[in-house]
Amino acid sequence: MSRLLRVELTRLLCRRAVLVILAVAVAIPTVIGVATVLNTRPPSDADLAYAEEQVAAESALPGVQRQLEKCLDNPERFLGRPVPDDVRAACEENYLPQPEWFVYWEQLSLAEERDNGSGLAVVIVLAILTMLAGTTFAGHDWASGSVSNQLLFEPRRPLVWAAKGAIVTGVAGLFSGFVVTAYWLLLGLVAGSRDIPTGDGLLLDCLQSGWRGAGVAAGAALAGFALTMLFRSTVAALGVLLAASVAGGIVLAVIGVDSVWNPGLNIGAVILDGAKYYADAPCPGNEEVGFCSVERTLPIGRALWFLGSGLVLFTVASLASFQRRDVP
Amino acid sequence: MSDLVIETTGLRKEFRSLRGELRVAVQGLDLAVPSGGGVHGFLGPNGSGKTTTIRMLLGLARPTRGTMRLFGQPVPAQLPQVIGRVGAVVESPKFSPNFSGRRNLQLLAGAIGAPTASVDAALETVKLTGREKDRYKSYSLGMKQRLAIAATLLKTPDLLILDEPTNGLDPAGIREIRETIRDLGASGVTVLLSSHILAEVQQVCTSATIIGNGKLLASGTVDELLGSGTAYRVVVPEPTAAADVLTRAGLAPSHVDGVLHVEAQRPAEITQILGESGIWLTELTPLRADLEAYFLQLTEAEELGHDTHDTTGAIA
Repeated sequence: MSRLLRVELTRLLCRRAVLVILAVAVAIPTVIGVATVLNTRPPSDADLAYAEEQVAAESALPGVQRQLEKCLDNPERFLGRPVPDDVRAACEENYLPQPEWFVYWEQLSLAEERDNGSGLAVVIVLAILTMLAGTTFAGHDWASGSVSNQLLFEPRRPLVWAAKGAIVTGVAGLFSGFVVTAYWLLLGLVAGSRDIPTGDGLLLDCLQSGWRGAGVAAGAALAGFALTMLFRSTVAALGVLLAASVAGGIVLAVIGVDSVWNPGLNIGAVILDGAKYYADAPCPGNEEVGFCSVERTLPIGRALWFLGSGLVLFTVASLASFQRRDVP
Repeated sequence: MSDLVIETTGLRKEFRSLRGELRVAVQGLDLAVPSGGGVHGFLGPNGSGKTTTIRMLLGLARPTRGTMRLFGQPVPAQLPQVIGRVGAVVESPKFSPNFSGRRNLQLLAGAIGAPTASVDAALETVKLTGREKDRYKSYSLGMKQRLAIAATLLKTPDLLILDEPTNGLDPAGIREIRETIRDLGASGVTVLLSSHILAEVQQVCTSATIIGNGKLLASGTVDELLGSGTAYRVVVPEPTAAADVLTRAGLAPSHVDGVLHVEAQRPAEITQILGESGIWLTELTPLRADLEAYFLQLTEAEELGHDTHDTTGAIA
């Protein structure tokens, strides 16, 4: 088996299409990371000076000054009760332009990036690309016909399947793990340099979320590989995946099944260690009203069970097909 | 221990189309290829079931019925135990097009733990040294065939199965491959040469199996298949006198257009009989029935549904 693993690793890493996909899988998270860092960078001195100029210019406008005078004359009406002690300061804050109006910036938040921001985007990109790598790796063997040649040297088909699958999954997992680790460590460094707190295990939480995402990417690669071994064509496997993702969502919506069966939500629950979703439930204490939307949490264990079952199903079908069907 | 390297009994392969139509590619084939080296032809027209049979032997296709043995071991159950002794090229060579010839061989060698030196040796044997670092897709068809043969040599096989190995080659390439096959057969490797080219089988093989429509039509040594006796065309100055001498010696000459046709075991027999009577030969040419005529006779009869199964030459 170790011989086969070495051979399959060489075969995978020597394949140009796979190398291109891996390069893209580094490039896109890099772009996402750079964009995140740039979009959350603190305003520069020049930006602040520009904002001050704008504040001064707009504050001098007659209309603005009239509003300020009205506030000072009748603070109760313009500021409400109780009237603050420093009426001038309160009126200026409310009716004069402020510097932050002219310099938009959002502070970097690792928690926000992890739960709703770039962290999720990076994992989704990695999962899509590793799945593509898994399909193209297997699809190339079928397209070139070299599967039959390989079987002339190692006729134990389950072993050949397992070696290929293990390499695809392992490389996808390790590679994704490396990318997400680098991503979060760099964001952590940037946050530290901006005096944004990353303590209390926040960075470790982000890393753990990334590693779970790397696991999802590894699973996606295995699923892509297994489907391609089943359909014996990259195009067919990708077509089925695309159709399932488009039609599946529509079918779920039409038949109105609970969101808990939505693969996307389950993937999110694995990455984020549980995910919130809304389900229809009888309104508590007032059943006549009908159904109310109730917030629920999908635990990671259930999401893993759901996604794992699907993966096992693909894997068993693919392996059984490879074992039994004639090889061209 | 069986003295057959390949043995199939009642081998059958059915394919079913998506519309449920049944097509039988191989129908109860009994194939026997003896061990001990030599080249065994596996002859049949296109679509006769040769490749399907080979693919079943190598575990690439599952038989519908029947048993198969390689080196006496049942396959596909024991295929992993014997595959190391079997080299095979099935249909066209199949390698990763973007890898070099050398890389392709290295990967295959890696799967069986063959040393790198065996890759170099195989490349040298098939004369691909110098082009081994080029991408496979840049190879000519002949080079691809040679690389496929090189792949079979990574195992130092006792049995070599070659499926139409000269397809698409130029005359020089064909001659080269045939010489390689003959040399391998002479070196003790048993070669099963599948071909629809009759001249190729006649030139290269010592024995042959002929199939048609997935059925065994005949099997035996090439000489057996062509008949044990051979006719000769005898040209002499006095054909009538020569005919008398040959008749007295127990042969049965016949007059055809002023020359004699004589059945004899060896040409020297005719030379000796006539020479002792003072009749000197002007010409002595074998009138050998060729495999093509025999093959066409068998396959045409098979298509017409006649019972042509030749058991006299069968070696099984």
